Formats: sequence, structure tokens, C-alpha cells
Amino acid sequence: MIAAMRNDPIVVDLVNRARDGDKAAWDQIVERYATLVWSMCHRHGLSGEDADDVGASVWLRLVEKLDTLHEPAALPGWIATTARRECLHLLRVRKRQIPVGDERFPDTAGPASDEWLLRHERQIALREAFAQLPERCRLLLSMLFSDPPTPYSEISTRLDMPIGGIGPSRLRCLQKLRDLPVIAALLNAPQSTADKG
Amino acid sequence: MAENFNDDERLLAELGEAVRASSEVPARFVELGRAAFTWRTIDAELAALAYDSAASELVAETRAEPAELRALTFVASRLTIEIEVAPDALLGQLVPPQQGSVELHGRDGVANTTRADDVGWFAIRPLPSGLFRLRVRPDGGSAVVTEWAML
Repeated sequence: MIAAMRNDPIVVDLVNRARDGDKAAWDQIVERYATLVWSMCHRHGLSGEDADDVGASVWLRLVEKLDTLHEPAALPGWIATTARRECLHLLRVRKRQIPVGDERFPDTAGPASDEWLLRHERQIALREAFAQLPERCRLLLSMLFSDPPTPYSEISTRLDMPIGGIGPSRLRCLQKLRDLPVIAALLNAPQSTADKG
Repeated sequence: MAENFNDDERLLAELGEAVRASSEVPARFVELGRAAFTWRTIDAELAALAYDSAASELVAETRAEPAELRALTFVASRLTIEIEVAPDALLGQLVPPQQGSVELHGRDGVANTTRADDVGWFAIRPLPSGLFRLRVRPDGGSAVVTEWAML
């Protein structure tokens, strides 16, 4: 169902390089997916040392799994599944309550988790695209999507840009974002069944 | 879903959500992931977790009888490592019984070293917490490391 991102050539390349011992590629894998693992901990009510144990466990298992990961493109799914299993295992061995909401996410093959994973993969693509934008675009967009949004008068002062230029600049920066290959791939990807309804 | 990206407002909102989600992740959490790569090359056979009593209990609180000690079994081709988690120590048994060195590794490195006696028994004190693995080198044999396990 989420074939869209599963063929992500970036992931395949990173996994292959990490397999060959490339530490920089490994770091990029961790940086890409740490938010997904963290978010999984968060939804199981885990933070601090508990979350660190789950995180370490996922990465240590992945280090050993690298050589036998037959489909590198399935990495995001593997990470999500492993993170969830480690969260539940930690709750069990430390005899904590399993969050009531967890039955809404009964197994990682279900549609609910597919949507969750898909959303995270979109976020990963967005962060990657954002990092590739020129600095001025990043500054402008950061001020626009901050919560609450920065007033135009302040943006104008900080970027030394006329207020009337903010709207057109915003348009240009967002278009730059869309044109980046990582986002263009998402736009052209076949939609999942959930999107067609 | 992805066609929402054609809408400026939605794209900006989703971008904000994505960037904020990542800024909420502590640097420490990312760092321990990077550090895991140092385990990439291990010159020892991996002993797989074959049994974990905690994995077979559904919800511990619902059990009426007193909780038994948690037991774990790791299996390599020529060595089995049985562990019980006592209140103050990890108690272990090498099968077949034999002497050897036993290292406890936490996620930050070697935490403790001990010996298995002539009947293959060992104890690791204090009880570790969190993630751990054992590296066992039987005298005259080759080293084995267990899979990671969580306490």
C-alpha cells in the first residue's frame, strides 16, 4: 500500500553504503529516522531513559540487520515495526500499563499504521527538501510556519524585505520546494488507496 | 494526500509540522543512534535470543501467583547461555558447563567482567538496567555475543 516511498533510491543507497562500513551513511540513516522512532516512543508514553533504551535497541538491532536486510527499500517499515515492538516489550518487562489507545494500532500491517508510516515518510521527505532550500527561503518559511506565525512587519525587518515582497517570495520558495526531486517524486508517486476516496 | 502539496497553505502547514517534529527530538537520542555503528564489526558468533519469559507473559499484573524470575536463553552453535534475572544480579549458566570469561556490555560499552566457574555458572552484580548483551569466551573456545536484551 505504501509502495510510493518504499522504492526510495536514497534509502537503498544509504543502506548499501552503511553495509560497506560508511559511517556517514549510517549517520544519515539515523538522522532521517530518529524522529519516527521518537514519535513511536511518544505514542507509547515513553520518554527519557525509556525512550533512549528503545532508540538504542532499534539502532543496535539495525546495525546487526544491515547485512541481511534483503529489501533495503523496506527500511522505514522495518524501523517502525521494530520501534513499536521494542516499546511494547519495554512496557512489558518494566511492568507498565500498555496505553489504552494502543489497540487502535493493533499490528503494523494494518491500514492505521500504514497511514502513520506514510505520514512520517512524507515528513522525512519534507525535511530533506527543506534542508536543500537556499538559506533565505528557509528563514522566510520558518517564520511563516512558526506557531503562531511571525507578523509580516517583523519578517520584513528581519529579512530586509518589503512587506509586499513576502507573498511572492513565499510563493517562489514553496515552488522551489515542490520542484526538488525528493518532493517531485512524492507528487508523482501513485497514491495509496486511502487517498483515492 | 500528496496532491495537497499543490496547495500553498497545506504545504506550508505540513512543512511546519515536519520541521517541528524533528526539533522536538533530543540531540542525545540521535547521538545514541549514531554511536550504535561502533557495533558494526563484532569478531564473535551471535547467540540468538531463543526464549524470554517476559515475551510470553501478556500482562504481568493480571497474574495471581508470585512473579517468577525472568529467564532468557541465548543459543549459538556450540554454546547456550541461560540467564535468570535475580533482584540483585544476573545469574548465568553456560551449557555445556565450562569455564570462561563473561563480559557485560551496556549500550555505552563494557560495564562489567566476570568468570564462569568450572560448572559454567556465573553471576553479574550489580544487576544492569536497560539494554545489555553478554560476550562469552569459553577457555580454549571462540567468543560468542548474545543478541541485545532489555531489562
